[in-house]
Amino acid sequence: MSFTDTDLIARVLSREDQHAFGELVRRYQSPVRAFLARLARGDAHLADDLAQETFLKAWRKLHTYRGSARFSTWLFGIAYNEFRTVARQRKELALEDVEEPAAEPAKSAADSRSDLRLDLTEALKELHSSERAAIVLCCQNGLTHEEAALVLDCPHGTVKTNVLRGKEKLRRRLPDYQHYEST
Amino acid sequence: MNRPEDKDPLDVLLREQNPHIDDDGFTARVLTALPPRHRAWLRPTVLLGATAIGSALAIRWLPWESLSLPDLSALLSLNSQVLLPWLLVLSVMASLAWAAATAVQWED
Repeated sequence: MSFTDTDLIARVLSREDQHAFGELVRRYQSPVRAFLARLARGDAHLADDLAQETFLKAWRKLHTYRGSARFSTWLFGIAYNEFRTVARQRKELALEDVEEPAAEPAKSAADSRSDLRLDLTEALKELHSSERAAIVLCCQNGLTHEEAALVLDCPHGTVKTNVLRGKEKLRRRLPDYQHYEST
Repeated sequence: MNRPEDKDPLDVLLREQNPHIDDDGFTARVLTALPPRHRAWLRPTVLLGATAIGSALAIRWLPWESLSLPDLSALLSLNSQVLLPWLLVLSVMASLAWAAATAVQWED
């Protein structure tokens, strides 16, 4: 029998049921850790530390979750705040753009396709963190602009702009993306 | 409502590049580190109880017999014998009302 998020949250709140909370962690650990890894420019250790702190905070603050947004949206919001707190202290995570790389000579289509996945990871690292966060939430995790605006605590027009601007930069940095075909 | 365009190769690439991360002991580490849950109801309940006790003491001890409706001339003369009991009662009542409102609206 599979419990819904709402059932599990109710069990945690009424009985302090750690198994129910564990099920919530198991469900959402992957998207939260992947989101934080993108924000931390691939630093998996930092991402895992932040993810652990995210779930500990969720445990402490679960009674403030009102159910008006999806539980995953609420978790992403905590995760983003954790990242911002650390980013304020660590300059390498600062929010500035990375300089636009010089254009490279064209590669063959086959080489380009095989490199494209790695290139995307690198290209995402070079985006401004607000653009990266908006793209990861909307394009990779399927959040609406409104949900992403809740997570990022900004107007939904800003999210839309950041997604468009970020994708435009990715297009410039991934000249071969048009040859990509889903496998 | 935003929907990625299915025909845009960049959207397809982004969707497919969303990695799944194996749990690999992560959930167990989180569960081991869980602190006792903060009892959200405890602090507002204590505040509400203290407010109730304060109200009872106020009803018992405030100088009700000294309270008389001051007329305008007494107010303008700033007669302390008239004004002080009122100021005392009003400040105690305001404090109790604030404490009760805070307890009812409490949110961590």
